[in-house]
Amino acid sequence: MSARNRGTELDQVGGATEEGVDLPSSLHPTGMHTSGFGCFPMEPEALNLSWISKMQVNQPAVLRRAQQIQARRTVKKEWQAAWLLKAVTFIDLTTLSGDDTSSNIQRLCYKAKYPIREDLLKTLNMHDKGLTTAAVCVYPARVCDAVRALKAAGCTIPVASVATGFPAGQTHLKTRLEEIRLAVEDGATEIDVVINRTLVLTGQWEALYDEIRQFRKACGEAHLKTILATGELGSLTNVYKASMIAMMAGSDFIKTSTGKETVNATFPVAIVMLRAIRDFFWKTGNKVGFKPAGGIRSAKDSLAWLSLVKEELGDEWLTPDLFRIGASTLLSDIERQIYHHVTGRYAAYHDLPMS
Amino acid sequence: MAATRTKPSAREIFTTLEYGPVPESHACALAWLDTQDRHLGHYVNGKWLKPEHRNSVPCQDPITGERLAICLQAQAEDVVAAVEAAGTAFENWSGLPGASRAQHLLRLAKMIQKHQRLLWTLESLVTGRAVREVRDGDVPLAQQLLQYHAVQAYTQEEVLAGWEPMGVIGLILSPTFSFLEMMWRICPALAVGCTVVVLVPPASPTPLLLAQLAGELGSFPGILNVISGPASLGPVLASQPGVQKVTFCGAIEGGLRLLIQESVWDETMRRLQERMARLRGGRGLDGAVDMGARGAAAHDLAQRYVREARSQGAQVFQAGAVPSDSPFFPPTLVSDLPPASPCTQAEVPWPVVVASPFRTAKEALAVANGTPRGASASVWSERLGQALELGYGLRVGTVWINAHGLRNAEVPTGGCKESGSSWSGGPDGLYEYLRPSGTPARLSYFSENLNYGTFGLAVPSTLPAGPEIGPSPATPYGLLIGGHFQAPGARSSRPIQDAQGNLHGYVAEGGAKDIRGAVEAAHQAAPGWVGQSPGARATLLWALATALERREAALTSRLERHGTELKDAKVEVELSARQLRAWGARAQAQGHVLQVAGLKGPVLRLREPLGVLAIVCPDEWPLLAFVSLLAAALAHGNTVVLVPSGACPIPALELCQDMAALLPAGLVNVVTGDRDHLTRCLALHQDVQALWYFGSAQGSQFVEWASAGNLKPVWVNRGCPWAWDQEAKGAGRELGLRAARTKALWLPMGD
Repeated sequence: MSARNRGTELDQVGGATEEGVDLPSSLHPTGMHTSGFGCFPMEPEALNLSWISKMQVNQPAVLRRAQQIQARRTVKKEWQAAWLLKAVTFIDLTTLSGDDTSSNIQRLCYKAKYPIREDLLKTLNMHDKGLTTAAVCVYPARVCDAVRALKAAGCTIPVASVATGFPAGQTHLKTRLEEIRLAVEDGATEIDVVINRTLVLTGQWEALYDEIRQFRKACGEAHLKTILATGELGSLTNVYKASMIAMMAGSDFIKTSTGKETVNATFPVAIVMLRAIRDFFWKTGNKVGFKPAGGIRSAKDSLAWLSLVKEELGDEWLTPDLFRIGASTLLSDIERQIYHHVTGRYAAYHDLPMS
Repeated sequence: MAATRTKPSAREIFTTLEYGPVPESHACALAWLDTQDRHLGHYVNGKWLKPEHRNSVPCQDPITGERLAICLQAQAEDVVAAVEAAGTAFENWSGLPGASRAQHLLRLAKMIQKHQRLLWTLESLVTGRAVREVRDGDVPLAQQLLQYHAVQAYTQEEVLAGWEPMGVIGLILSPTFSFLEMMWRICPALAVGCTVVVLVPPASPTPLLLAQLAGELGSFPGILNVISGPASLGPVLASQPGVQKVTFCGAIEGGLRLLIQESVWDETMRRLQERMARLRGGRGLDGAVDMGARGAAAHDLAQRYVREARSQGAQVFQAGAVPSDSPFFPPTLVSDLPPASPCTQAEVPWPVVVASPFRTAKEALAVANGTPRGASASVWSERLGQALELGYGLRVGTVWINAHGLRNAEVPTGGCKESGSSWSGGPDGLYEYLRPSGTPARLSYFSENLNYGTFGLAVPSTLPAGPEIGPSPATPYGLLIGGHFQAPGARSSRPIQDAQGNLHGYVAEGGAKDIRGAVEAAHQAAPGWVGQSPGARATLLWALATALERREAALTSRLERHGTELKDAKVEVELSARQLRAWGARAQAQGHVLQVAGLKGPVLRLREPLGVLAIVCPDEWPLLAFVSLLAAALAHGNTVVLVPSGACPIPALELCQDMAALLPAGLVNVVTGDRDHLTRCLALHQDVQALWYFGSAQGSQFVEWASAGNLKPVWVNRGCPWAWDQEAKGAGRELGLRAARTKALWLPMGD
């Protein structure tokens, strides 16, 4: 196995901070990124269809587990504040709209750099942590704007670009690959590709594997985040199989949805994907990241997602290298909750800067 | 736990990402206890009852040991007062139209809804169970139970016509129970018009709170009375003349036994340990724990079991280190326990899971059915065919396919074997508190003088009793066992006299060995008969009816010789044939599909045979009673061992000649002889799976006592003769209810 295990290195970092050792901010796991994931992208595994052929997901059991986990894990007070700040470091702050221009991209990038009001962080003694979101995520044509804005802001937050005919993926493979290359050329260090749902629904797993392998290659040094568009895969069993194929083909992350399907990130789907990630880790020793996206708007939701990953994969996955939340409005709700935690009052609309 | 350390800062938690305490305030529970000055008595007839000069026990927080309240212990006179109150209330309550009772139950549901926080915090505080479990599971289900049973009360006059409420019901709760178990039983009882006296173990405030909530509805204060006292008051409650039925309610879920197919053993164990390692234990009132504590006794039980298992060579996996003085016992996975070790035989305590491997589904079924318990089981398989086969084959009351622990008010919940044979929920739960209209109330038939050790022990010897003046053809002779007539093991006979006191003939004197043979034969015939379609069973019963009609002349004259009027004898023979046909027809329509809220997929309510059923037939209506009981039992798929009427067994033996020819060998076994002796043999036989006794009061008492050995379902007439010619009896619904057991098979679906 080519197990260049990104997790190990980060574990050590995490261990050191627990003992209170201050680290250079470039090594800090909380959102200060030198090169996106801090190491090389995942190398593909050979296609092994036996890993998916026998798989059958027990949907009623998954639903029950999904129900339980939301009810059983809550955090309050200091814990809630800390978890919410942590959630900020997982956010891929996203704008994917037809009317995006350089000005709102710029605003977004500044919000990514200063996600929470400085005075609030100060009260929590968190102002020196260099808290930022994990990345900003934009359409390919806006990558240049984002790179420029972030550079101007003087930070190294990676720029992620969606690609491959986002959100439907219904364009020719050639143009999809070209889209990746252009986005990388423009400075995107993470590429969120959508898979070809047709291949899943018709069971062409080899073809799907080959396509994602080509995406991987087109990415070069950039990291590959594969969007499964689970709302359009038909069944949880297909979600598992598509997850496995995407990981074998060398995805650094698997991501639930584009945010444009009718059903987006749901807990049952997430459980299936997380179990696939665990199975893949058990089989290969490689840790693949997880990114739920679409419909995650409230601070409370984000806490549930954190505890879901903590329960299913463990603390080692709770780092921006292995967990992201794709969201656009979530951050402002988190900021409101932090405001409330610090001041004891609910914030007015004008109390918090817009993104 | 984090709570015991100094509180970490957000900065620290940001790095560790640990869980923090999520304490649920129990101020309202304490405030409620304060309204009673932390001094709880009993709740009888809508009022708190706090008699003086009673012992009291402290009610403690199971985790901190803090004293929450003092609870009075009832004495016999308090029990009497509660039963009296319930008796008085019964007169009004049972006379109400169902719609009014429905209204009242709905008001109680509303009342619970208004005070749900108090209910869940109090329950969690005193039992140590996870508050989430009580809040999200028990409290909504308690309301659902009231709502469901309100609907049942509303339709009672129509749907349950011909049945009436039994009267005052005594409910005894075991030391570790949840208030929900009480709700499962009081809801159907109250719905059909019964009133209830609940004896709760010392220091159980939640049932008292529920009784208070019910009492504060104003009207009908005495329908729910709760007294708290030691287990020794159980017999006192049971022997109260006003109490018509006593229900005992066992403990909440214990540990689990897990059977894993060898081919997926490693994978499953790995996942299991992974998951168990993430379970959080802690104070029940913490909103983010999976498991609370259940007090010192449960802790010790688990600890002793695990220590024992280790010493017997088992592998023990425990997630997380828990200090030995902690009240929390970690979830424990025990494996590699040799099958013959004592631990394997013992009941697994909470929170322990014992895993063992199996090779084939058949083997798994044999292992699962090879325990004396039979409450519930879940089957996990991706192959529906296999899962269903196991679901049907398991001898338990509830089977979940690919799910576990689901419950719903509409689905009957019960058990097999030592898990008891009473039902709660669904239609089956209602019948537990009903009796056919017109049957006499339960009299106090209990006799202190009955000597269980000697009842039916010896058979009086019989000698030749004079010339046989029988009609021709000669009386059939022998015991019908395994499909043919055979001589009794004792090689002796007993004379049967006719109405004039003349010798009518000799029947074989059956004994313990013959019973053993008959039960064995019945067991051998069981799989074949269960496998028959209801249609095939009906065909055989109809054939038997035709054969019976062919013997009409002989049967009529036999009955006549025993003192039956010719007219009546003819009616009896005719009714007997009709019974066989009626039950044959009824065999076709059994079981149905339920749709319950919150579950995608059906729940099958199956009616399964009891197994080997022993029937001791009454002396009245010697042919009709014999045939009615036999027909109902066979139609429902049971195989039977029958003891025919003692005074007049010969008509039944006549019919045996046809049964020997028509029915599969061993399906019906008929043993004549001394009734008390045969009853004793049957009642003490562990492999007789159910027993119906129609005979003397003494015999009834003995049967109920002896059947406690394997908790087989028994049905006794307590010495009261029945009018078998009436529709309500011979072909009545009670017979149909008794002849089969319900199984709920949950089939959640989805892809």
